[in-house]
Amino acid sequence: MNQYLSRRRFLHGSTAAAVATGAGPRIARGAAGATEIKALLITGGPLYPKYWEALTRDFKQKTGITVSYDMLQFTPMTSKEVTLGAARSAEYDVYSTHTAQIGSFFNYFEPLNKYFSASELSDFYPVAMKYLTDPRTGGLAAIPRNVDARVQYYRTDIYDEHNLKPARTWDDLVHVSQTVTGGGHYGLVVPGQGDPAQRTFSDYLWQAGGDWVDDKNKPAFNSAEGIQALTFYRDLIQKYKVTPPDAVSYGWNENTSEFASGAVYDTFNWPTNYAILSSPDTSKVVGKWATAPYVRNKAAISCAVSHAMALNSLSRKKDAALEFIRYVVSPDAQLLAFQQFTYFPSRQALAEKVIAQAQGQKAVWLQQLKRTIATGKEWPKLPGFSKVCILMYGAIERALSNQMSPEASLNQAAKEALEAMRQAGAYR
Amino acid sequence: MSAALRAQAIGRRRGVPPTLALSKGYMLAGPALIVMAAVFVYPLAYSFVMSFFQWDLSAGSNDFLGLANYTDAFGSPEFLQSLRNQVIFSGASLTTEVVAGMGVALLINGKLRGLRLARTLLLIPPMIAPSVIGLNFRWLFNEQYGLFDAILRNLHLPLIPWLSNPNWALVSVTIADVWQNTPLLVLLFLAGLQSLPQEPLEAASVDGASAWRTFWSIILPLLRPVMFIALMLRIIDTFRTFDVVWLMTQGGPGGATTLITVEAYLLAFQGVDFGHAAAVSYIALAMSLVLLSALYGVPWLLARWRRS
Repeated sequence: MNQYLSRRRFLHGSTAAAVATGAGPRIARGAAGATEIKALLITGGPLYPKYWEALTRDFKQKTGITVSYDMLQFTPMTSKEVTLGAARSAEYDVYSTHTAQIGSFFNYFEPLNKYFSASELSDFYPVAMKYLTDPRTGGLAAIPRNVDARVQYYRTDIYDEHNLKPARTWDDLVHVSQTVTGGGHYGLVVPGQGDPAQRTFSDYLWQAGGDWVDDKNKPAFNSAEGIQALTFYRDLIQKYKVTPPDAVSYGWNENTSEFASGAVYDTFNWPTNYAILSSPDTSKVVGKWATAPYVRNKAAISCAVSHAMALNSLSRKKDAALEFIRYVVSPDAQLLAFQQFTYFPSRQALAEKVIAQAQGQKAVWLQQLKRTIATGKEWPKLPGFSKVCILMYGAIERALSNQMSPEASLNQAAKEALEAMRQAGAYR
Repeated sequence: MSAALRAQAIGRRRGVPPTLALSKGYMLAGPALIVMAAVFVYPLAYSFVMSFFQWDLSAGSNDFLGLANYTDAFGSPEFLQSLRNQVIFSGASLTTEVVAGMGVALLINGKLRGLRLARTLLLIPPMIAPSVIGLNFRWLFNEQYGLFDAILRNLHLPLIPWLSNPNWALVSVTIADVWQNTPLLVLLFLAGLQSLPQEPLEAASVDGASAWRTFWSIILPLLRPVMFIALMLRIIDTFRTFDVVWLMTQGGPGGATTLITVEAYLLAFQGVDFGHAAAVSYIALAMSLVLLSALYGVPWLLARWRRS
């Protein structure tokens, strides 16, 4: 009954607003006056709850639409979305999502292309849009609200002491890190576990000139370039010993905390790291670090991914839900996210504005991020690739912990990956 | 006895017509049965059906695969590794927990001062949430800042790569499990020890039996029912262990601590392949059922063989 009434109210409101404002296909303000939508949103750290609260409050003031939401951290949120997707649930209208997992949801999220004009979509960074799009159908499964890429964070005081410049190439990285390693301190920290390890391997794979799949979408990460990439990654930990010895058990948290605590002098990290390292509450190295571009080998490529917003294809309140999604990816909301979390905007025009207004070290860093994003990549969003990812976690960790050679480990994973993708219908 | 005869018997006893008595019984039990079926039987049956289908969120269609998910599982090196890990983990933790649990129970089964406090303290580890234990042990085993390696460093002993070495990582998660669950067994064994009949123990004492002889020939046989229950609970538990391992190692490095539950989680929630995950879960269930059957069946068969 409630649902029927609210839908009728929504339609009445819609018509009234459209007449009043002469609006086109877009839903009018107050159109969903009494509409309430439900969203599953990402959280992490103390700032996110305040961010969503401010955003939904402001959204309600502007549109009259109430957003009731639940917040979960990234991994449990993805698990919940997977469960709801498998159950074809209509419980939530809007989801926070991410490029990394988007391939799992192509059959569950509503393609958004038809709801945004081509000129509107062209403002978003192409790399973010490309990897949120189903390669089989061309449907945009989610719309990005930021772009994440990594740059190098290094200790200026230590590098000055040794008369060093930040590494630009793989060889530099080994040399510089070896020079400053010692006395319980390490020249570099890399994550070595799960998804963070796969991201790091991905960077080295592209930098070595390789790729995840060939032109027929068959696994190609076990090519000579892939083996070179994993060997280099393993050697940083096991041969050159420039990282903490237990780096193979590290995720992003350790990657950040080891640098922020002053134990490690160089790291490759995401934009949120900038805010963490700048605050005395979370960093012991405030004022002692600077940023530099990610290292390169044959190519200068690393991951570029996005947090994004998606619409449940089974939602019964799609118009109101879309209005909220539009709002979250609007320039105002993205500017707030940049100010609070140093989230790099997914809208190119806003990114340019933010870069132009920045000064000093922050301006340099934003320029470096922009360049990284321009050449950034992501692993393919093919059927079955989610399963390939879990095969890769094991394969990379086995090589990093010296259980298998990089070659044997990658060959085994490639064989299983081919079968997993074939079973999932990647070659139909 | 047939249902009709049973109903007649119930009716005679209570002075109500037999059919009414039977239907009243079903009516009273009905709500509970419905709830049980909804929350227990239905999901179990549903996931069992799922294990015969391609239930892959990214594939878009759910094709019937027969036993393919099961045969694929046994052909997968990752699953076979998780099976090996599970056997080692369950074997090592069960053995350690039973031996240590019995030892501590015997130690505190006296009238020494401070034992009451000790018994109370024993309740703490099983009361702590596994996620808290997992996170704490992850830090305790950290090679840079962890307590264990700090002690080794101060003693000028070689450091142990607790979480980054495949073998040590499995030892580490076993230690965390033993720390959490041994007190539970201590309490079970202690309850058993305190309810033992005193006559055989006194007789053994009068006969001059040694402590070891008394334990081996009297206490242990008398405690067998308690041990069976303890083992049954722990076998079920070790096949369900997930939180502690996930938070400590995420099954790594390189699958070295991936138990069957971790493998199922990875397949379902990261590989979005629910069909495979369901098959793996049912293999785990079958394994624990086989172990439980052996636990109860072997002594029963032995007893029968002795009698014959």
